[in-house]
Amino acid sequence: MTDRSDSLLKVDGLSLSYQTRQGELQAVRDVSFELARGSALGLVGESGCGKTTVANCLMRLLPDNARISAGRVLLDGQDVLLLTEEEMRLRRWRRISMVFQAAMNVLDPVYRVGQQIIEAIETHGVESTDIGARERVARLFRMVGLDPQLMERYPHEFSGGMRQRAVIAMALSCDPDLMIADEPTTALDVIVQDRILRELKAIQQPLGMSIIYISHDIAVVAEVTDVVGVMYAGRLVEMGDTADVFRAPAHPYTAALVSSFPSVSGERRPLTSLPGEPPNLSDLPPGCPFHPRCAYATDVCRTEYPPRAASGSRWAACWHPLDATLVPQS
Amino acid sequence: MTGYLVRRTGQMVLTLFLIITFTFFLVQAQPGDYASFYVLNPDLPPEVKDQIRTAFGLDKPVWQQYLIHLKNTFTGNLGVSFGNFPRPVLDVLAERVPRTLVLFLTATAVSFYIGFFLGKAIAWRRGGLFEYAATISGAMLFTAFTPAFALMMIWAFAFKLGWFPVGKFLDPLVWRGADVSANYVFGNMLLSAAAFITFALLVMLCLKRFGRRVPSVVAFPVVLGGALVIVAVWALSGIGGLALDIVKHMVLPVATLTLISFAGTMLLTRNSMLETIREDYVMAARAKGLPDKQVRDRHAARNAMLPIVTSLVYSLIFAIDGSVIIESVFSWPGTGLTLLQAVRSEDLPLVMGAMLFIGTLSLLAHVIVDVLYVYLDPRIRYQ
Repeated sequence: MTDRSDSLLKVDGLSLSYQTRQGELQAVRDVSFELARGSALGLVGESGCGKTTVANCLMRLLPDNARISAGRVLLDGQDVLLLTEEEMRLRRWRRISMVFQAAMNVLDPVYRVGQQIIEAIETHGVESTDIGARERVARLFRMVGLDPQLMERYPHEFSGGMRQRAVIAMALSCDPDLMIADEPTTALDVIVQDRILRELKAIQQPLGMSIIYISHDIAVVAEVTDVVGVMYAGRLVEMGDTADVFRAPAHPYTAALVSSFPSVSGERRPLTSLPGEPPNLSDLPPGCPFHPRCAYATDVCRTEYPPRAASGSRWAACWHPLDATLVPQS
Repeated sequence: MTGYLVRRTGQMVLTLFLIITFTFFLVQAQPGDYASFYVLNPDLPPEVKDQIRTAFGLDKPVWQQYLIHLKNTFTGNLGVSFGNFPRPVLDVLAERVPRTLVLFLTATAVSFYIGFFLGKAIAWRRGGLFEYAATISGAMLFTAFTPAFALMMIWAFAFKLGWFPVGKFLDPLVWRGADVSANYVFGNMLLSAAAFITFALLVMLCLKRFGRRVPSVVAFPVVLGGALVIVAVWALSGIGGLALDIVKHMVLPVATLTLISFAGTMLLTRNSMLETIREDYVMAARAKGLPDKQVRDRHAARNAMLPIVTSLVYSLIFAIDGSVIIESVFSWPGTGLTLLQAVRSEDLPLVMGAMLFIGTLSLLAHVIVDVLYVYLDPRIRYQ
């Protein structure tokens, strides 16, 4: 699927833990994926599965108690984890930008919205003049469906949807190669959510920008991504083309996620919710961490972490993949 | 906004009326009157004391005195100071008020600047030895007993080291033979300071007009140049030495006030910063790739400033109140010392005048902070 020369981002064996008072908390384990230039990748999973930590790790915006124990994050072949803080700073927003989870408070209440975008443009020298910067903001505002005159307003004068659009405009302001959208529409009502997602999709393609969508809402991810990775307890458990993964999930966890969401266009089917709780990251069960909640679990699931079962670029980490075409790799 | 200010002015007048009333009866509740201040003076026969009472109207019933006083105050007549007879109260205050204001405005500005600077620095880099040292020493200075601490400062820097004068407003030896009055020199110093502040603000405003692309480094030499011009004018004026003498007398009280009050701002800034640091917009500012200093100053500290400005005004009021203590220890002839002497000698008009000044200042400070808030926080609007 992914041509190596066209690869923008390659995450390789990333593991990360937080030092907490209760001891070490392994938030991300051995996560690897690759993202082609111009494509959209989704990361889905329950709250606390490590999606946001992976995103923050790509931007190197981690809290002080986080420690990356292994892995590489290659952006155009360069490991961003080895960069100095200043080198990283110059890449933030210019190469990788982010639409944050809590968009309501991402805009600083004491500055005009336009000014906050101009601030990023000036920092990275994307435009050489004030007028150029203002015109760029006006262009971005039109692109996300906001009246350019709104750039003189303060964040509190914006509605939730307007703020989210402004935050997206801000994320696009420095022509990044990669935009991470962490629950970009969770705080919005469904109609606004749908409109913004469509616009994002429409913007992404002409700009040739890659996007990583992070969401617990698989309907959103199914709509806008090409490739999807499913995370559970800090690990990627299934990955593949979005359509394939959601049409015929191979991992029982993915299947459970899919069946817990209603489908508007598809056939009517009863919704099932996943029994049990997400595991405690500081005290994971042995073997496959999903086995206590899994209907297909056998003895081997309780003792040994499953190998990948793969077919082309599609794979799942499961002893008993639901899709028989996946072949276990030794 | 205009309607709001009109309403606030109405409230201020009402509050001032209450202040005048309470103070008047409080002073009257003291035993004796101005004439009994001379009770132990054998040179003063009882008839003279009665004469004083009649002349100052102290023989009238209290309610009558109160009504007369109220009428006079609201028609702008603060009366004549008994103790400084025949100088009007207004004249005495016009001399003393600027001295107090300069002392305490300077001290508050310096301590606010230092406190804010240290507070944001220790909040930004937590857990270091510096945070520990700054917090401990700040808290110790903050809780120090003001008169004792002031005396220690005098002992160390004036008595032992001899760097600064022990107290008072000026050194008579320097001023002997001077053909200008202290008030004249001090008045001109105030004008210079006002001119300099206006100039500095204008420079800042012009720079803002040119946009952020003009480096703020330009501002510093320009402002410094303005300061040098003012200093040069004073040096050439021939009374520069006299001005320098007043400045020398100011250093120790300002330093003392700064040391005991900066920690309040520092600790408040630190706590306020610890709140704003966790805000999403600070995270977003960092994600935007802004330099660390810009994230701290333009976003975290700028938002942390809002509650601190409120405290700044209150601390200014407390400082002016506390001027009674500081001015007594440093023999600084300002409003505080005047008030103390007036209360002790039952110089009723002067007490009332000084209290009216402190009250007006407090009320004005509140209005100023309300108006300032509109500029600091765009979310606030008054109807």
